[in-house]
Amino acid sequence: MSVHHPDEMLLTEYSAGTLTEPMALCVRMHLERCDQCRSQLDMLNSLGAIMLDHSHHASKVSDDLFDSILTRLDDPEQEAESREKPSVTDSRSPLEKMLGTDLQSLPWKRQLADVSVCDLSDYFPGDERVTLQKLCAGGRAPSHTHGGKEATLVLTGAFADGNGVFSKGDFVILDQHHDHQPVALHGEDCITLSVLDAPVRLTGRLTRLLNPFIR
Amino acid sequence: MNKSVTGKGHNVTPLQDSSRRSERSKDQWSQLLERVGASHDRDAFHQLFEHFGPQIKYYAISNGIANQAEELVQEVMISIWRRASTYDWRKAAASTWIFTIARNQRIDMLRKIQRGSAEMAIETEDLWQIPGDDEKDPVPSLHRIFAERRIRESFQHLPEEQVSVLAKVYLEHKSHQEVAHEMDIPLGTVKSRVRLALSKLKVILQDQDL
Repeated sequence: MSVHHPDEMLLTEYSAGTLTEPMALCVRMHLERCDQCRSQLDMLNSLGAIMLDHSHHASKVSDDLFDSILTRLDDPEQEAESREKPSVTDSRSPLEKMLGTDLQSLPWKRQLADVSVCDLSDYFPGDERVTLQKLCAGGRAPSHTHGGKEATLVLTGAFADGNGVFSKGDFVILDQHHDHQPVALHGEDCITLSVLDAPVRLTGRLTRLLNPFIR
Repeated sequence: MNKSVTGKGHNVTPLQDSSRRSERSKDQWSQLLERVGASHDRDAFHQLFEHFGPQIKYYAISNGIANQAEELVQEVMISIWRRASTYDWRKAAASTWIFTIARNQRIDMLRKIQRGSAEMAIETEDLWQIPGDDEKDPVPSLHRIFAERRIRESFQHLPEEQVSVLAKVYLEHKSHQEVAHEMDIPLGTVKSRVRLALSKLKVILQDQDL
């Protein structure tokens, strides 16, 4: 059970389907592990249905539309196509399905002694920077703040910073107000999925030089 | 189109027999959807189309895809037909289930338009789930039904300014930031209207950190 959740504004945008793909992925991965947010989402989806049904929200459809739909249903080719879709339950998470491999086998790039990164931005349209970040067990990341907003979802292990302890399934948004220096807990590497809408700024004296490398 | 029967207006009669009680808990649309799922009942399917088709068309138009509005209706109806057998009334009301399908088909359509022929790295339904698709999900049944009924009833009493913000988010595919920009009000006002609405609908608890 998670302790840190996306707020209700974000869940509302998720339910309405307005979030960008990487943000939706973060929320989706959180929902996997959070009954509380899933139950809130159920209610928000009901709200969506009510909005759809609300008062005069309806547009007349063409007279022959229903017949066209029936024609498509009766088309043997289309039916065959729909049956081709695999119905086997895939127990992998959406992220694993997308990557087609497990997290450890990814082409990690070591950026600092304790920090490795794998850039996933190319999987998505849009300008957000999407990365997996790995802080080795017991490792320490340099102190930094965020130029924009960074959504972070913990995939494995846990990290702690001045705001608390974040473990598997936890979701947190960091922005320019958080100057944080995350430390991974012992025992397991901490891997997070991060969606950043602007580059990170390092705040430590020496590490400032590394800035171009840790974006 | 019979609009007076959508979820509210059901009498809650105490019944001894739980299966009969569950029959009572289903609204009209859920029963129709189950008929489609069980036996590909075309009459039931037509009634669903008569009710939801125009809503979905409106949804497409308000979302800025007027040119593909009837295509969206077709895609959603076909999807309903094909997946009806997986529908579980205990996990979502038919209207909620259909909303999520319409939402996903809309997202899917927009993604395909934006991407052209490029392959999508991740399926829309891996990002946005349809309720009940995940078998690991607990079955909330009565709790869910009461929550839904309560939301429907409280919704009638929301002030127009809150409804209009929600309408922009849900029907016009606008982020809170875009709503603020379009209505020329501060982002904080948009957020507080949404929060007020959600707390009146008891989607969020009053004492939850805001």
